[in-house]
Amino acid sequence: MKLKFNRWTEEEFMKVREEVLKQWPTGAEVDLDEAVAYHKALPDHKNFAKKLIDAKEKGITLAQPRAGVALIDEHIELLNFLDEKGGADLLPSTIDSYTRQNKYEECERGIIESRRAGRSLLNGFPGVNHGIEGCRKVVESVNLPLQLRHGTPDARLLSEIMIASGFTSNEGGGVSYNIPYAKSVSLERTLLDWQYVDRLIGWYEEQGVSINREPFGPLTGTLVPPSMSNVVQILECLLAAEQGVKNITLGYGQCGNLVQDVAAIKSLREQAEEYCAELGYENMMITTVFHQWMGGFPEDEAKAFGVISNASVTAALSGATKVIVKTPHEALGIPTKEANAEGIKATKMVLNLLEGQNISDSEELNAEVDLIKKEVKAIMDKVAELGNGDLAVGTVKAIEQGVIDIPFAPSMYNAGKMLPARDNQGKIRYLEVGNVPFSQKIVDFNKSALEERAEFEEREVGFQLTVDDIFAVSKGKLIGRPE
Amino acid sequence: MEKNGKKVVIGVIGSDCHAVGNKIIDHVLAKQGFDVVNIGVLSPQEDFINAAVETNADAIIVSSLYGHGELDCQGMREKCQEAGLKDITLYVGGNIVVGKQTWEDVEKRFESMGFDRVYAPGTPIEITAKDLKKDLSIAE
Repeated sequence: MKLKFNRWTEEEFMKVREEVLKQWPTGAEVDLDEAVAYHKALPDHKNFAKKLIDAKEKGITLAQPRAGVALIDEHIELLNFLDEKGGADLLPSTIDSYTRQNKYEECERGIIESRRAGRSLLNGFPGVNHGIEGCRKVVESVNLPLQLRHGTPDARLLSEIMIASGFTSNEGGGVSYNIPYAKSVSLERTLLDWQYVDRLIGWYEEQGVSINREPFGPLTGTLVPPSMSNVVQILECLLAAEQGVKNITLGYGQCGNLVQDVAAIKSLREQAEEYCAELGYENMMITTVFHQWMGGFPEDEAKAFGVISNASVTAALSGATKVIVKTPHEALGIPTKEANAEGIKATKMVLNLLEGQNISDSEELNAEVDLIKKEVKAIMDKVAELGNGDLAVGTVKAIEQGVIDIPFAPSMYNAGKMLPARDNQGKIRYLEVGNVPFSQKIVDFNKSALEERAEFEEREVGFQLTVDDIFAVSKGKLIGRPE
Repeated sequence: MEKNGKKVVIGVIGSDCHAVGNKIIDHVLAKQGFDVVNIGVLSPQEDFINAAVETNADAIIVSSLYGHGELDCQGMREKCQEAGLKDITLYVGGNIVVGKQTWEDVEKRFESMGFDRVYAPGTPIEITAKDLKKDLSIAE
């Protein structure tokens, strides 16, 4: 099938679907009509899309952890612990990394060895292997809406099984679950595979079952300039809307400068709505998610709580609809359920204290919003031009040519010519633009902001700034100043 | 920069796509004079071993950030021996198990799998570089 921006026909979808469901035996359990009836029988308080609409109307920020283990009973115990002891508003099922690579045989080995060892050897919940029966046991044993969170380039079967099981939100996208999560999967492939997932969710929407979709905002989580991640979010929003998705949460990973972070969420929300209106998508429900610091964390747990609390302040003041919570074990890998609950509690305390407050407009904030929007527009215009008006084809070409360029990405299809670094206030700027199509004025502005920092630190503008910035937060500072 | 004449294979094992640390390790080891063969992320054991055989490497450094290290590293030393990489220097580091566990237990578990050195989360690559120079008899 050739990649086009257009909505898939019923025939195209059903033809591919037949093959998808054969990829693992549990695929045969999926029956769409039965799944619609199952969803309609679920109470409203278990529907992710509805809970987000409610939060947006109330102007509050919801807290959601990441969590997932290999075995069903342990997974349920973990999720209920995060609800009852942590106070989570929304629940996840984070999927293990073998499933993300479609290696279901290795998942079986992980499940068996986890049973034998009495602890999870997988870093998440292997949803495909557990099938509808196992996933529904989870849905029926918890009291909050559930989202599947992963990092899967080809999530077609996983999405079929978990949505049919009663999960009402799905994270990912053709760019955001490829460039940061794969080494050699082509963009055409992942964009098609995510059009399938979006079409599936569009189909449920047409049957009266609203499923939330969330493109993955932070990308590599490493000094991604806000305009670059916002472009990816807006494109994935439009790609999903074209397939009939209505309830979309756009993501952004904390950069660390309060003003830049608030400006990023504000411009993301506004520009996404503008582009949706421009392309004629009606009745869209756009919400936002703020990811607490995605880079390296300090090992010291008290310091980690500092990072978590700081991020919660920004999440609240930015007006994001939800925040994805980190834990005091972040520097060490997968957290215990106790540490995970503590991260949620710290976050919720800060959110509660700031409820109803926001950051008022200032010259600095307005200038940052204006800059982000101009940078986004320059890239979006070029994407449309490269695709001759087709945004799917344009996205592939834009990544191929480095017009969209994600720093520190594992994918061989990413140019990797753009380099970011922090300016003297900690805002992330473009150190090298590579082939990102900015006007000379924007290039010069980014450069002068970095020159100001380098002069302050009495050193040259260069890659060493970037390297120092990558490790700065784990060492206790936002900006990687020379020691 | 001056070359020290030793070749080291680096990469991120299994279904792990954490790329940032891998790029930094490459940058620092090259700066310290090592000839770095970087096989990148999402690399099975066979890719490490094939790269080491093909380039006649002196050491292999396995990174794992996502918790499956324990499953991914099983049998690696035996496969090295079979491939003719007799007693090649073999290190592993990162967040190599799921969850916060007693470090001494984790270290023992990986040493018994045949790893010469096992690095705890957050170890700077500069420390590994120093150990590598010692183990490969390179003068500082």
